[in-house]
Amino acid sequence: MFCAIRNTLRVPLANVLRLFNTTSPQATEKFDHKRIPADDEGVQGEKIVDLDSVLKQKQNIFPTLNSDDQLFDGVPFKKVPICNIRVSHNNTVFTLTDANGKVKLIRSCGIEGFKNTKKGTNIAAQTTAVSIATKAIDKGFKTIRVRMKGLGPGRLAAVKGLQMGGLDIISVTDNTPVSWNPPRARKARRL
Amino acid sequence: MHLTLRLLSNRHPSFIARTVFVKNGDVDSACRLVNRVLGKEGILQQYRLTRYYEKPFQTRRRINHEKCKSIYNEDMERKIQFVLRKNRHEPFPGCY
Repeated sequence: MFCAIRNTLRVPLANVLRLFNTTSPQATEKFDHKRIPADDEGVQGEKIVDLDSVLKQKQNIFPTLNSDDQLFDGVPFKKVPICNIRVSHNNTVFTLTDANGKVKLIRSCGIEGFKNTKKGTNIAAQTTAVSIATKAIDKGFKTIRVRMKGLGPGRLAAVKGLQMGGLDIISVTDNTPVSWNPPRARKARRL
Repeated sequence: MHLTLRLLSNRHPSFIARTVFVKNGDVDSACRLVNRVLGKEGILQQYRLTRYYEKPFQTRRRINHEKCKSIYNEDMERKIQFVLRKNRHEPFPGCY
C-alpha cells in the first residue's frame, strides 16, 4: 500500500527535480547600469547639509532688500564686478564682467589647453579658474561675486579655484535656467 | 517697492534668490548651502528631469514607483518608531 503511494508520489517528484536540475544556465552576465559611477555634477551637499542649523545661526548669509547697498570694500554690492561661470558636462566657461554686464575677460577650459573630454573635469575647471583669477588681479579686480549656471564636474572646483587665485568672493549665486513648463526636450540618450 | 521695480524690469533678477553670502572666506560651505537650497526647492530635480524628454510610460512608471516608495517609507518609519519607543509597560517583552 505504502509502496503504491510512494510510486505515485515519486513520479511527480522526479519530474520536479528534473525541472530544477536540467535548466540550462542562463546568461546572467547582464550589463549592470548601477556599476557605472554617478556623474559628478558639482552638487556636493545637495542632500547632506543641515539647513535648519544654518538658519538657526541667524547670520545674515542670505540677501535682503537692503543688501544691494551693503558695502564690500567700500563698493556697494550692486556695483561689484561679476564672474559668470557656465558649467556643463563637457566644458567650463568663465566670463568676468563689470556690474553692468560688460565683458572684461573670457576664459574657458578649452582655451586653457585642455582638449576633448579633459575639458569637462574638475581639475581643468580649477586651473582655468586660477589663471583667470591671476589675469583679473592684473587688470585690477579684487572682489567679485560669482554667478554659476548649469551642472557639471567643474561647478564646485571653479569657485574654489577663483579663491585660490587670490580673488575675494563675496557671494555665490546660482542662475541655472530651469522651467516648469519647458518645450519638449531632446530625446533620451540610450546607453 | 524696490523689489517690485526690479521684478518689472526683469522677471528673474539675479543676486536676490539662490544667493548666499560668503562668510569668513569659506567659499566651500557657501557653495554647499546653495546646492542644498536648490536641492530642497526641487530645482535640481526638475533640471535633471527636463534635460531629456521623458516618455509618458516612463512618467507613469516613475510616479507609480514614487508612490510605492513613499508608502513603504511611511510604514517603515512608523514601525521603527514603534520598536524604538522608550516608555514601554514591559521593558523586555518575551524575556523572563
